[in-house]
Amino acid sequence: MALRVWASSTANALRLSSKASLSPAFSLHRCFSSVLDGLKYAPSHEWVKHEGPVATVGITDHAQDHLGEVVFVDLPEPGGSVSKGGSFGAVESVKATSDINCPVSGEIVEVNTKLTETPGLVNSSPYEDGWMIKVKPSDPSELGSLMGPKEYTKFCEEEDAAH
Amino acid sequence: MKSARIIEVCRMGVVNYMDALKLQERLIAARKSSKIPDTLLSLQHPPTYTLGKRRTDHNLLVPESDLGKMGAELYYTQRGGDITFHGPHQAILYPIISLRDIGLGARKYVEKLELTMIELASLYGVRACPGKSGETGVWVGDRKIGAIGVRISNGITSHGLAFNLNPDLNYFKHIVPCGIEDKEVTSLKREADMELPTEEVIEDQLISCFVTQFGYSSITWKDKKSLLCGDDGDTR
Repeated sequence: MALRVWASSTANALRLSSKASLSPAFSLHRCFSSVLDGLKYAPSHEWVKHEGPVATVGITDHAQDHLGEVVFVDLPEPGGSVSKGGSFGAVESVKATSDINCPVSGEIVEVNTKLTETPGLVNSSPYEDGWMIKVKPSDPSELGSLMGPKEYTKFCEEEDAAH
Repeated sequence: MKSARIIEVCRMGVVNYMDALKLQERLIAARKSSKIPDTLLSLQHPPTYTLGKRRTDHNLLVPESDLGKMGAELYYTQRGGDITFHGPHQAILYPIISLRDIGLGARKYVEKLELTMIELASLYGVRACPGKSGETGVWVGDRKIGAIGVRISNGITSHGLAFNLNPDLNYFKHIVPCGIEDKEVTSLKREADMELPTEEVIEDQLISCFVTQFGYSSITWKDKKSLLCGDDGDTR
């Protein structure tokens, strides 16, 4: 984990895109968006990292690339609940407001308040500093129906090829 | 190989903003459950100011109470973008389409909406171009001729674009249009050197530019009453 953060910061410092991940197993698809190992993915392009009692949620590199520069992130207050597939907030980019959906059900225990001042973190660090909410999953088995990195990479390729 | 893609288009005339919003909500739900194909609404609004999700009402330069005296309404919406004005003689398109089905993200979708308006302007010899970064919309030099504000929910779009044919530009004096100071608003009437045909003709051309830009292979024309009723309109 620490090593991956290091690589990401260095890449940013060198003005390289944060697309060089240390877990690049399935990261090179046509548009070079990165997909990380150890995360689960929803077809609406959100990722989930399940660590113990908490699941962290954000949007993927593919998602932020397709959105353009994020200028506003609308997030809920902690304490509310979310259902799998339900919307918990929105991001604004290029005059478009796009809903964000939660891949798991549960109680929102923490919200990334840095995104109010620095919405661009969603673009520059979608898997780390751009995390959005932390949820206490009410049904961890929901994670089983999400995609793994390889599946998600293929999903993105097929979606991009559709037009 | 692309399969044939159909769009249903409804020319609605002048529609109150709230009525159009309620219709879009119903269309979004129907599109999401695949009860209807991609749908496009072509319409105009009576004088209406709207704000986006960020609620940037500091860009309204007159008290809200004055708007009624001007014959205008104000709505807070969930779309992206800043404050804008809609009114008669401004052509509006509200596409209710599935971006996932055509593999487009927000950025590419908005670019294609810009290109739709740029193409229409070019039919009248007007050279328009997309805004610089952060200034989404369509410009003729430093003057804005077309605006965009979109909402995407579960991959389905709503709201859309507004292209100035010949609206009363004085209404724009009461706002900082799109939150961008010191830039003028203009219209096709002002920019074109040639005589313009009727608005119905130009609105149909705008529809045609949209259909081409987004690669639909056939259009089904729907009248207002048959929208969402499962009736077939005329197929061309």
